Amino acid sequence: MTQEACQRYMEDPEADPRHVETCAECRAVTAALEAKADVDHAPISLDALPLAPWEGSSHRAWPLVLGAAAIVVAIALALCDAAGLSPLHVAESSLASIDARRGLLRSASDWLRGAPAMWQAAFGLAFVVVNALLVVLLRRAPKGIDA
Amino acid sequence: MRRALRLFLPLTAVAATLVTAMVAAPSSFRLRGPITVEDAMATIQNTAVIVSLLAIWMFAAVGFTLLSGREIRYSSLEMRASALHCFALGLVAVTSFVLTAIVFSYLIPYHVGVPLLFALGVIAILTKIYGTIAVFHAVGMLVAGTRTREQLARRRWLRGDLAMVVVGVIVLGALRLIPIVGPIIWALASVFGIGTALATKFGRREPWFLAWRAVES
Repeated sequence: MTQEACQRYMEDPEADPRHVETCAECRAVTAALEAKADVDHAPISLDALPLAPWEGSSHRAWPLVLGAAAIVVAIALALCDAAGLSPLHVAESSLASIDARRGLLRSASDWLRGAPAMWQAAFGLAFVVVNALLVVLLRRAPKGIDA
Repeated sequence: MRRALRLFLPLTAVAATLVTAMVAAPSSFRLRGPITVEDAMATIQNTAVIVSLLAIWMFAAVGFTLLSGREIRYSSLEMRASALHCFALGLVAVTSFVLTAIVFSYLIPYHVGVPLLFALGVIAILTKIYGTIAVFHAVGMLVAGTRTREQLARRRWLRGDLAMVVVGVIVLGALRLIPIVGPIIWALASVFGIGTALATKFGRREPWFLAWRAVES
């Protein structure tokens, strides 16, 4: 056997699996590797393994989803009707809460602009400390197992 | 199913006790005196707004899960694997968002503040939406997730990411309807969600920062 064929087999044994039958050298290397790795050829019982998170996750239970969505929408419409509200009012109330938060933010920045230098420095320090802590926490690798 | 009952029964008992105590308590024990017609109307309006927002959450959750179910599942797993880290990260991230928003508001007169504030708002809203959907998935898995293959094979509807997210929306939505306690639970869920979204980089399993390594000669 040529050195090139042996090299190709060592790089990718799946590409030419019959090479090992004809090359004694590669057969010896493969046998030695298998002996060293102590490969257990016993059959694996799938049911004995714990359930992986991705098993069955791609299933789309449309009857459940559509049924639940229809029930929630029906209850929402019934309650809106009973309360004399229109769906537009719900959107308005959400926007009003955003406006309230924006007002709080504006008043906080106004306060900061007029605050003594000591307070401004304390705020700057708090800003740096909190963001440094955020970076430290973000550096930690996730622990979750394969999804 | 037994696990779901174990979780559902105490929650239902607590919710029922709270609601019963608020409705049936003598007027002298109530915080705001006897219920008037205006109070009842305001309660109905408040409930209508909450349930309408819940319906919007359900559509958003289903849409997000259809688009990136794998990422949502990974974030949900991370939340259950390291809940404390996600919660701490969520608290720090919310504080950071607020402080950064104040700093950007401070910069509005210098014109650079407006685009920065807009970008921060978009990032914060996306983080909250993604994280809350991951919380829905985690709650759905805790309440109705399958533990064995036989259970998985037996179920026709109550399996898959989509079903878990819907179950989570319903459970958290039901809890949201409880006065006083509901908004607190929802706020805690948001903190958990923001922490999980950031801890997993929106389920992408990539590091936020590249580690510096010296070139080996």
